Amino acid sequence: MRHPLTRFVVTVLLWLPVCFAVWYFTAPLLTLPMQWLALAVTKLGFSDMITDVEKSGTLFSFVTNLRPASATSFTAGKAAVVVDSQALVYTYGLPLFAALTLAAIGLRDSVRLAKVLAIGYLVLLPFQTWGVMADALKQLAITMGPAIASQTGFSPFEREVIAFAYQFGTLILPTVIPAIVWVLTERPFLERMSADLGVRDQRSGIRNQGSAKP
Amino acid sequence: MIKFFILFLVIQGVLFGGELTEPGQALFVLPWTNFLATLSADLVRGFDPNVLVSGKILQSTANGFAVSIEAGCNGVEATIVLIAAMLAFPAPWKNKIIGLVAGILAVQGLNIVRIISLFYLGQWNYNVFEWAHLYVWQALIMLDVLIVWLLWVRTLPKIERSGPGDPPPSSAPAAA
Repeated sequence: MRHPLTRFVVTVLLWLPVCFAVWYFTAPLLTLPMQWLALAVTKLGFSDMITDVEKSGTLFSFVTNLRPASATSFTAGKAAVVVDSQALVYTYGLPLFAALTLAAIGLRDSVRLAKVLAIGYLVLLPFQTWGVMADALKQLAITMGPAIASQTGFSPFEREVIAFAYQFGTLILPTVIPAIVWVLTERPFLERMSADLGVRDQRSGIRNQGSAKP
Repeated sequence: MIKFFILFLVIQGVLFGGELTEPGQALFVLPWTNFLATLSADLVRGFDPNVLVSGKILQSTANGFAVSIEAGCNGVEATIVLIAAMLAFPAPWKNKIIGLVAGILAVQGLNIVRIISLFYLGQWNYNVFEWAHLYVWQALIMLDVLIVWLLWVRTLPKIERSGPGDPPPSSAPAAA
């Protein structure tokens, strides 16, 4: 495995299962700051409808003051809509980032490794929180039907924005942000690998030229 | 570097927004997803005749298990990321076009492997299917995009390879 890129890809693939396992078992702890962030966002922008953000393991529950569609006049005073969001769906980019970082830095430079992993974790947190928040808002404004949506007071345009934020937070952000953060934090490694590849290409070019001679 | 990332995010946002519109879905996403299902079924039939395809649904006639290829599983988003990364990177248009054609083939090729593997994983063990579907394959597809982009960047002429944020190779003094 002399080719630097092949070596790098194989190392990432070897680290991925380890990183996925560590992420899965530590996720209840790793997602704790997401709960604080979600609570802060809720207080700032949605306090008129979301009253609390609870967390059980990696499952976020957004407690609202909206009345369920099936509530009768007897239960309406007590019943409230609660929507759940699974944080794992928005945080799986973390093991990808960790595997890329481990493959680039290795275990020898443990101080730098810890620093980059911590930076990556902190940078990813707001985007992961975006995912669970957008999921909860999408459920309230769209999925749960007109009886709930009408209580939220969102305009049709705001519902479109929520739908876009949800799709973007589900399909793009979980994997793209880790890749961007990795490219930014490992630029020296990328330049080194690019240089290694260039030297290798030049050498193979010289060899090919040599063998082509009669 | 900042210019590259801003351009990357803008192109990505525009393409992703276009994909989500009704015309985008009707004219491109749905036909493409149906084509992927048909192609996957044709490939599977090479070694397993017990497969049916209906629109974007792939079904086993042996046990009734079916997978529906939804958003995120049709490789469109990964392709959008790759297109945005190549268009935003300063490179000659010839390199961009070659890179896009080869890159899209690489991403969609691996996506076919994802669809077929999920079809069989689901028939074997639903928990494993869920894990592979929601987390593992998503990460692998993005890794594929990243590798394709890195390979493409190394094929660029030297000036482009010096990095989008680096100063241009000019002998003129910087303005004071």
